[in-house]
Amino acid sequence: MSRRTLLCASTPRASCLDLWREKNDRLVRRAKELVPQECSLRRQQLTQDILEGLSGLLHSLQGLPAAVSVLPLELTVTCNFIILRASLTQGFTEDQAQDIQQALERVLETQEPLVPRLEQGLRELWDSVLHASSLLPELLPALHLLAGLQAALWLSTDHLGDLALLLQALNGSQNRASEDLLLLLKTWSPPAEESDAPLILQDAWGLRDVLLTASAFHQGLQELITGSLPKALSSLHEAASGLCSRPVLVQVYTALGNCLRKMGNPQRALLYLIAALKEGSALGLPLLEASRLYRQLGNTTAELESLELLFEALSVTHKSEAPHILIEVELLLPQPGPASPLHCGTQSQVKHLLASRCLQMGRAEEAAEHYLDLLALLLDVSEPRFSPPPCPPGPCMPEVFLEAAVALIKAGRAQDALTVCEELLSRTSSLLPKMSWLWEDVRKGTKELPHCPLWVSAAHLLQGQAWVQLRAQKEAVGEFSHCLELLFRAVPEDKDQGGASNCEQGCSSDVALQHLRAAALISRGLEWVASGQDTKALQDFLLSVQVCPGHRDASFHLLQTLRNLNRRDEANAVWWKLKTQTQVPQEEATWSLPLYLETYLSWIHPPDCETLLEEFQTSLTESC
Amino acid sequence: MAGTEPRVQYLAGFSCPLGGLAAGKPRVLCHEAEVFLSTGSEFVYVYDQEGGLLTAVYQFPDQVWHLQLLALRRALYVLCARRGIYCLSLEPPTRRSASQTNEDNEDGELPSPVITVDPDACVLPDTTLCAFTVHDDILVALVQGPAQWKMQLFERPGPGEDRWPGGLVGEVELSTCTPPAGVPGKLTAPCFLPVLCCVSPPGSGVPSGHPQGCGGFMLEEALFGLLFGADATLLESPVILCGLPDGQLCCVVLKGLVTSRSAPGDPKALVKILHHLEEAIVFIGALKTEPQAGEAVESMPPCEDVYSDCLVALGHHGRTLAVKASWNKSGNLVPELREYLLPGPVLCAACGGGSRMYHSTPSDLCVVDLALEGTPLNSQHPQCGAPGGLPPMLCPASLSICSVLTLSVLSGTPAGGTELLALSAKGCLMTCRLDLNSERPGPTRMTTENAGRKIKELLSGIGNVSERVSFLKKAVNQRNKALTSLNEAMNVSCALLSSREGPPPVSCTTTTAWSRLQLQDVLMATCLLENSSDFSLDQGWTLCIQVLTSSSALDLDSAGSAVTYTIPVDRLSPGSQREVTLPLGPSESGVLDLPVTVNCTLFYSLREVVGGALAPSDPLEDPFLEEQPLDLLPEQEGICLPLSRHTVDMLQCLRFPSLVPPHGHVACPLAPAADLVDTFLETCRAPSSDLAGPAALRAKYLPPSIASIRVSAELLRAALEDSHSGVPLCSATLQWLLAENAALDIVRAQALSSVQGVAPDGTDIHLIIQEVAVTDLCLAGPIQAVEIQVESSSLADMCRIHHAIVGRMQGLQTRAPTSGCIPPTHVPQTMVMEQAARGSSPPDLRVQYLRQIHANHEALLREVQTLRDRLCTEDEAVSCATAQRLLQVYKQLRSPSLVLL
Repeated sequence: MSRRTLLCASTPRASCLDLWREKNDRLVRRAKELVPQECSLRRQQLTQDILEGLSGLLHSLQGLPAAVSVLPLELTVTCNFIILRASLTQGFTEDQAQDIQQALERVLETQEPLVPRLEQGLRELWDSVLHASSLLPELLPALHLLAGLQAALWLSTDHLGDLALLLQALNGSQNRASEDLLLLLKTWSPPAEESDAPLILQDAWGLRDVLLTASAFHQGLQELITGSLPKALSSLHEAASGLCSRPVLVQVYTALGNCLRKMGNPQRALLYLIAALKEGSALGLPLLEASRLYRQLGNTTAELESLELLFEALSVTHKSEAPHILIEVELLLPQPGPASPLHCGTQSQVKHLLASRCLQMGRAEEAAEHYLDLLALLLDVSEPRFSPPPCPPGPCMPEVFLEAAVALIKAGRAQDALTVCEELLSRTSSLLPKMSWLWEDVRKGTKELPHCPLWVSAAHLLQGQAWVQLRAQKEAVGEFSHCLELLFRAVPEDKDQGGASNCEQGCSSDVALQHLRAAALISRGLEWVASGQDTKALQDFLLSVQVCPGHRDASFHLLQTLRNLNRRDEANAVWWKLKTQTQVPQEEATWSLPLYLETYLSWIHPPDCETLLEEFQTSLTESC
Repeated sequence: MAGTEPRVQYLAGFSCPLGGLAAGKPRVLCHEAEVFLSTGSEFVYVYDQEGGLLTAVYQFPDQVWHLQLLALRRALYVLCARRGIYCLSLEPPTRRSASQTNEDNEDGELPSPVITVDPDACVLPDTTLCAFTVHDDILVALVQGPAQWKMQLFERPGPGEDRWPGGLVGEVELSTCTPPAGVPGKLTAPCFLPVLCCVSPPGSGVPSGHPQGCGGFMLEEALFGLLFGADATLLESPVILCGLPDGQLCCVVLKGLVTSRSAPGDPKALVKILHHLEEAIVFIGALKTEPQAGEAVESMPPCEDVYSDCLVALGHHGRTLAVKASWNKSGNLVPELREYLLPGPVLCAACGGGSRMYHSTPSDLCVVDLALEGTPLNSQHPQCGAPGGLPPMLCPASLSICSVLTLSVLSGTPAGGTELLALSAKGCLMTCRLDLNSERPGPTRMTTENAGRKIKELLSGIGNVSERVSFLKKAVNQRNKALTSLNEAMNVSCALLSSREGPPPVSCTTTTAWSRLQLQDVLMATCLLENSSDFSLDQGWTLCIQVLTSSSALDLDSAGSAVTYTIPVDRLSPGSQREVTLPLGPSESGVLDLPVTVNCTLFYSLREVVGGALAPSDPLEDPFLEEQPLDLLPEQEGICLPLSRHTVDMLQCLRFPSLVPPHGHVACPLAPAADLVDTFLETCRAPSSDLAGPAALRAKYLPPSIASIRVSAELLRAALEDSHSGVPLCSATLQWLLAENAALDIVRAQALSSVQGVAPDGTDIHLIIQEVAVTDLCLAGPIQAVEIQVESSSLADMCRIHHAIVGRMQGLQTRAPTSGCIPPTHVPQTMVMEQAARGSSPPDLRVQYLRQIHANHEALLREVQTLRDRLCTEDEAVSCATAQRLLQVYKQLRSPSLVLL
């Protein structure tokens, strides 16, 4: 009957309707032909042209009062427009929501012209439309497609509650209990289109499959992050069995690997990662995951190897395939945040990870090489490619310099370490407090002290250590003294003052300052010891115990020196203190110090603490 | 005037729309002798300064919003609105067209050929692009998203070469929210474009050239590190500064802005907000306010690669931010940040190499010097490094050039002065030479050639000043006029609103009459606007007549329609009047939905009167926001004074052809055309059948609808006695009912008590008024009552008349409040209650009987309600029956069982 009324009602208008339909079909055909073309610029322009054509068509359709006979075409054009727009901008925006809203309002216009439908949300609109559309079976195919697009929009903007309600309404299920999105999507069966319907870019069934995969993946990731691993595993399996492109499959496999690793199944995780690598595109993610896996297994060599491979993989700029003009799974996935298991990072971030892992694992030579590569990557102006610094979430740039210097010293390349520190200081010289000027003021009696970024003192500290390695005692002591001078003037000030680096918070914590002071004092003290000036050394060690009371190494050095100087009573006191301290679990170990500082502190750790303590105890008992 | 005498030289004129060019989008750039210029239209002009002629004109598909020149590569980047970025290679076309124009020019004033830009020159198609900057090997574009600005980093596409090597390298959303103006979903041209510029750290190996012309500059190390952080300093990364229309000034370190899908940019980490100016940022620039330290000056030539030490940002209304690095007392590096207020609105601004900033307002081009004490370059600071700081306030010095839309500072002239290239709102391209030496105070000796030059300068100055004076005069006049008009409007409003009693000072009376227009009878309403106040209604006043038709009773769904006529009252002096006649109907379909309500209102448009005065006399005054002055107006944008409300009902529109003498019988109402039923009956009457005509048949099968209203005679008599005394009650009633009908005189003359009329659609209407006695209502005996009976073959017309009569009755109640009265049928209770309360005659109604009637009516009303509800929901077949029943119930409701007492 509806068909008849369509024909009867639109006899005078049939030519116009046909014309519009023709235009839609022509544009859709053009859009579908676009796919094989390679030149992305040309493609973009053509897509934009088609988009404009569709938009014009939509305008002319919407210029007339809504009529049931024209609505299927109008809805189809709207859907085509939304699909094309979303695939052109590679995502959904508020605009698409407005397009959908307008389409729904047009449907309602045919139904109840009297009731003004102002201030209705999309949810309510959908309810009304689906209620009304039961009277208009000819609209159903187009409406289901539009609903699919709405679902995609809500999925990409994380409105899962709305999405579930919409799907329930589409399925006509009275059972409100079923909130499982995947189940709802599976039971949704859009009506088949008639063969003579206007052309569409993507049909509702295809959209359904995409939605199914995307929501399974989405859900799996969510569960993975919240820690409900078995659920995540099943969701991700679901996603992997769905329809998805290679890059997405790689992501799904990587997430599966991540999930299995967390569940304590490293071998199965590895299988998935290998499967991901076999997919052959976007190798970065599985390699990163593999490195995490090997790290968990304690296989450092494999871990570092996969990181190196990852670095190589990222340096290959694989040409991104031109996206199809379709709503695809990629479009519906949220961008991975830094905490997401799918966040891969950039080349320099990977290089930094590699370098710092080497440093942590004690592979100093490798670490030094990697750090030098990283600095070259970041600072080389002749390199045309941009490479962003590892921060954030990594350390800030000055810390990268310091880590590099530490690695170089550790690798025995003191001269290079000096150069790196020198470079750091010279590049930031303009930001440093004007010391000379300050000193004048100090002489005049002003008490104000400059605030100096912590890393400046650290640079001097490392320079001192480098000189130590080069056996230039005088320079070393000079650098240590300079460092101490800066450190003791450095009162941790308001965060926004000083070096204006946004990483200041991390570095300027009191604990780091304390440890840095202790480290500098101990280093100088050790130099005094080396040159036989035990009294001077004693002073420094005493001070270091004062500035950093929890630091056991300082006390050990003090104990040692006191013993050397034969100052028994004081040594006893220190020993007692150390003894009692051992009973207390060391809280400070939980503090995460900057990597360079941690490494540095390991150098000045007295080699034989326990033997020293025991020796001392025996000597005490002997004397008693 | 600070003694800087400009020497203005007009170079060329460009076409400009009526009212001048709009600010914000024109650009002018200079490279060597060539000037590249866009006026905000779709053309880009290339002008040869040496030859003094136009060498090329490029036409783009849409407005050009921004130009940028990469001098080294001789590439011109053009942002075309709603299209994207185009890249023009300047070499070949310039030469070719240059030679052409040379030849052409000798013939006469032939314009140079317009080169339509090839769509293939578009290197970055994007419809939402609002700003871009090209720097070295990258291109940064700012895209307006639905709710956020998005910064995108591209590897620079060059002309000719394979154009899209790497494509999008990174992107980040700026945290700011700017809801796009205008209709959602539609792209409208923004009033303000964001400002982008690229800041390089010193010594970053930037190819020298024209950093200023490229929309970028270099900042000295301390300021750079202070503003953008140690990371940017260490990486020696360029930084993109971005000034947004909402006033935010933010920066993005370019080397950090490399993102991918698997590592998206985090706005919190990448974007740093430096300041919020709270008004649209129109310019970002850098100045050099202190002399470079001694060794630096020696190491590099003075003109090249000057590191600026002061960052400035200018807001549209003149708010200016200046930032410098300085050391606090304890030797720490701190930013010194100052806000100034310069005269606005700022059309454009520019910085030269020194410490001066030029900014243009509609009335003047000013120069400000941000060097401390204004004498920076001459006095050497002591070497200790004590910072100069920023001046506590700025003193703009006028250059006496008005409405410059875009500026470009040319490199210093040999003489040591500065040369500005400017485009005025009238489309004039000019150079303006500022001589630094003339800053010297004290009179200089006049030499002859000096005098000649001086006179020329004075003349051009006078030209500029007179232009300004005319602008200002116009504005003042307009404002005076607006004030006078406002004052009058005040008076009129006060008079109208304060006159509660007595005749209103301004009145509007409405009468109706039939007249014949184009073969059709039309009911015309005549509104007579009379000004009996002491003030005249002048420009700005509008008479609004709103004609509201009621919804048709038969069509449940249609709402009444309203048509508003607005008639400007063009000077209505005291005592005069104006008549407006307008048709009420019937419409083309022959329908006249009665009753029609005519509302007359006086409206005073503030927008019309004040808007004109507040709006700039010259479009440049505030060109960015056209609607801005109107924003100052109250919401309703005018004063609305209701004058009168008149209801035209059926009684007023009845016509009585039988009464009219034959010679006046011109307008036989529309005619039998309406009577399809008769035609039908005529045709289906078999010739052989009985001789009864259609009338008889009609009487048999389509009995006329009848309704009647009974009113207590006493009540009517009391109400009508003062106006109709001495007339029999029945005819008095009829006269009262037809009081506003044109046929009143005839009815009165013939003392009729029943009358046969014609409704607007041509159906007959019979009004019969007779006295009856109502027996069963009162115990004391029959009540004398007047029965008004309406008879019509058309149910609709009958209903309308009935409605009109009931309306009159209601009017009667208000007019004669002392007499008892029943409101319309559906509230009979009030009658009884009022009656009881008053205790007046007749006291002994049969309450029981009344109750019953009342109860009946209540039941009927309820049924009406349910029937109507059902009618809305049911489908056609069922609703037909429902409608039938509804009609019956209505009929019962109208049955004359009640009396108005």
